[in-house]
Formats: sequence, structure tokens, C-alpha cells
Amino acid sequence: MSKYAMVIDMDRCVACHACEVACRSHYDVPVPYYRNWVHDLRPEGVYPDIKKVSYVGLCNHCDDAPCVKACPTGATYKRADGIVVVDKGLCIGCGLCIEACPYGARYINPNNEKVDKCDFCVDRIKDGLEPACVTTCIASARIFGNLDDPNSNVAKLVASGAKANISDKVNVGPNIYYLDNHNNFPIVQAAFPPKIPQMPTPQRLWSKVLKPMFYLAIGATFLGQMAAFAAQLFKGESDIKE
Amino acid sequence: MGKGVSKLNEDIALDHDLLKGARHLSFEEKRILANRVMKKHGVAGVTLHWVNAISWFLLIFTGAALLSASYLRFAPEWYINMMDGIFGTRSAMLHFHIAIGVFWVSTLLLYGVFGYKNYVLDFIKHDLTIDKDDIKWFPAKALNLMGKLSHHKMPPQGEYNAGQKAYALVVAFSTITLIITGPIMAFHIGQPVIIQWAMMLHFVATMSVFAGVFVHVYMAALFPEERPAFFSMITGKVNELYAYLHHYKWWREVKNDEHAFFSEELKKDGIHLPELEECKNIKDHLSKGKNFDISGDEI
Repeated sequence: MSKYAMVIDMDRCVACHACEVACRSHYDVPVPYYRNWVHDLRPEGVYPDIKKVSYVGLCNHCDDAPCVKACPTGATYKRADGIVVVDKGLCIGCGLCIEACPYGARYINPNNEKVDKCDFCVDRIKDGLEPACVTTCIASARIFGNLDDPNSNVAKLVASGAKANISDKVNVGPNIYYLDNHNNFPIVQAAFPPKIPQMPTPQRLWSKVLKPMFYLAIGATFLGQMAAFAAQLFKGESDIKE
Repeated sequence: MGKGVSKLNEDIALDHDLLKGARHLSFEEKRILANRVMKKHGVAGVTLHWVNAISWFLLIFTGAALLSASYLRFAPEWYINMMDGIFGTRSAMLHFHIAIGVFWVSTLLLYGVFGYKNYVLDFIKHDLTIDKDDIKWFPAKALNLMGKLSHHKMPPQGEYNAGQKAYALVVAFSTITLIITGPIMAFHIGQPVIIQWAMMLHFVATMSVFAGVFVHVYMAALFPEERPAFFSMITGKVNELYAYLHHYKWWREVKNDEHAFFSEELKKDGIHLPELEECKNIKDHLSKGKNFDISGDEI
């Protein structure tokens, strides 16, 4: 069995945005949105001790993915190989997964009003290729592979100390790891901490208040009718014309 | 012709008498009424009812399997798997749900647009308008179900009784909600926040109808006293005894219309039917809002 993961080597990334462009052109992602991003943070520190860090991000294909739980129809699901994908034919564009995602990895594509996000280029993986962002990276800062295989590069890098973007509050088993020997990752984590998954008001109202109410009402009418029917059978039928 | 008219006169004599006030019927009168039928639903109404019923059936059964998120789900896992198996893929099931929904909404809109005068206004008048007797019907029905009040002493009802009207109101409002919220989700109309609210309202409307559907099906298909109503949804007709006992106000209305129609027709042949006046004392009883007793006494 495989469990796909990606390691981002922050020490090698030069923030050229080539991965972002490759992804955008491969999937025709409209401009304000991303499947895969490089967010350049403002320079930190005081001259000459200055750091310029970029946050390279994409869907974390979480083990305990909140988006999968939030999706009402099952359009978003986790494949056996660990990749979280969106079935476009089943997506109704309700955006519940967007509210649930701790990493802001999802957007509604205005071209078809359906949710879109990184899928580790499943179609390329199927053909034995690596994801577009990995292939295009000029500095080999992205390493893609099977985490379940101890001999793979990703497994070795994770064993050697690559870290996922998790916090005390939010840990849903992300599978994107960051390799960092210059203490830059904490800067990224401070700027882009994982968000606590949210559920919009109508869904909270439904699941906490309305659904139990309707269960009671439906149960009551059903049992009432069953009782009436039982009584009717017990009594036997009389001539309806009296 | 003479024989026909004398038969007509006999019928009119009975109607005339019964219109003076509802009362206990003799066996012979019951037999006569039980053998007479009157029209309750037209072909359009019967067709719409079954289109509606079949659409709802298909929509409920696919809709329940489309909701797989644990906080929204109604159906158990095995049911969802079974439906996935029947449709092959869940997106095929969603498209089926949408197709049936489009068919259902189109049918309703066709009725709404072309049948506005004939069907919609009639439905609103007979099925959705609650009057004083309807309000009295609810406590009376409760007593009746407990066996404390014979149904002869129930407040007289129109074409639909108050329980049917209450459910019809729920169904009407739910239908309007579903006609609006369904397309919002199916065709991604508006921002996600609109779709999220539409989703919740879609569930509320569906569940409101679903909560009453057991009563509706039981009353129509299994409950002996109302069973003629079930067959009327196929033939469009009910026997007059049922109409007289359960929907007295409607029976009176139909009889008056019928008589007016026949006397107009027969006038052309120079035959004059005796006048069929509505009985004063029933009218008084009804207008004063007193509890009405089908045996003619005040409760």
C-alpha cells in the first residue's frame, strides 16, 4: 500500500514561483486562486540579520481530513493511496469543505462553480510521472513519494526531522512536511497557523437542533401510526358503511 | 323521460330533505347514498397526485443516499452502499436526483401557469383555507381518536378536513421551499453561503413533509373510514355516503351546484324542478359558529 506525501525543502526553495505557475497552467486555475502556492513573507529582522522566508503550500492530504468529514455528498474523499480528491460530478459547490480546511487549500472555481484543489496530479502519477510542481522545481526543493516505503526519499527525510504544519490545537495528520535547518519554519507557522475547522451556521443549526427535532417528530408520527394500525388489526374490521 | 324525471324527483326529494340538516340516516337512505357517486378529483388532479407521489418517492430514496456526511446523514451506511451499487457511481445518483427534480418542478410549474384558474385557485380555496369549523375539528378529532366523541358529532367539514388542510399547508410551503432551494444547489446559484442555507432549508422542507407522510399514507390506504378517499385518487370519485358523513359542507355545496345545473338544463325542456333551498337553520348554526351536530342537535 502506498501513502503519498511531499517534503518541501525550505533551504533549497528560492521562491521563484515556478511550481505555482506550472500548476496554474496545467489545471487552468483562475488568477486569484491557487491549488499550490508560494506566499512570500515580509522580510524579518534587523539589518544585517534579515530573513526572507516563503511559505510553499498545497493540500496536505490529511489522514483525518476535516474536508472529507464536512463534504455532505461524499464528493471529497480520501483514496486508498492517501490522496484526497474531489469528484467534480458530485460537488454542489456548497463550500463546507473550504470552511473546514485548516490550510486554505480549497477554492470554488468560478468556471464551473465547483471546488478545486491539489490532487497530487493523480493523472500524472497514474502514468508514472511526478506532480507538475515537483517536475518543474528548478532547485529540487519538492520531493514527492511514498511515505509507507521506508526506502523512499520522503520517508527518509521525514525520519530525519521534516516537520508538518501542526499546532497544539489543530493536528489532523497532514502529509506535507517541511525540511528546515535555519529555523525558518516557525516563521511560516506563525504567519500561517492551521485554522480550526469551522462549520457554517445553517449546518450547525441543522445538526445540533433541527435534525434531532425532526427525528423526534418523524419517530412520533411513525410510532403513532403503527399503534393505530395495530389497534385496528386487533379490533378487526367492521362494515365501513355501518 | 317521465320515468327519468320521477327518479330525479325522488333523488331531489332526498337531497332536499338532507339539505335541511345533517341527521342520522335510515338504512335505506344510506343504501341510496352509498350507491351514488360524486366527483372529487379531476383527471388533472389525479395525475398530479401520482406524479407528485412517484417523484417524491424517487427523490426521497436517492436524496437520503446522497447525504453521506455523518452530521447530515439519515440513512445507514449499508443503505448508501446499496444505492451506490444500484446507480454505479454516486454522481450518477446525483444527476438522477436532479433530473427527477427538474421533471417534478416542471410539472408543478406547468400546472401553476396553465392551470392557475382551474387548479391552483381551487386548491387554495378548498385545501389551504382554514375556517372556524376546521379549528374546532382538531380538539374534536383528538377526542374522537380517544373514543370519547363519535364521528357523527364532529364539526362539519368541507372538501378536505382540517387535518388534510393542515398537512396540505405544510406540503405547499415545503414544495415552494424545495422549488427554490433545489435549483440553487443543483445549478450552483449564488455564493456558497446561499447554497449552505439552501441545503438546510431543503432538509427542513423535506423532513416536514416526511413527518406527516406516515399519517397521510395510513389514513388513505389502511384506515377503514377514510378508504374511499384512497380510491378517489384513482377513479376521481367518492360515494355520497362517505361525502355526506365526512365532508358534509362540501356535499351540500356540490348538491346545490348540481341542482342549479339540472334545473337550468331541464328548463330548456319545459320541466321545472322543485326549488332546493339551503336550509336556514344549518346556515344559522354555521354562521354563529356553534358546534354542529350531524344529528341536527347542538352539542
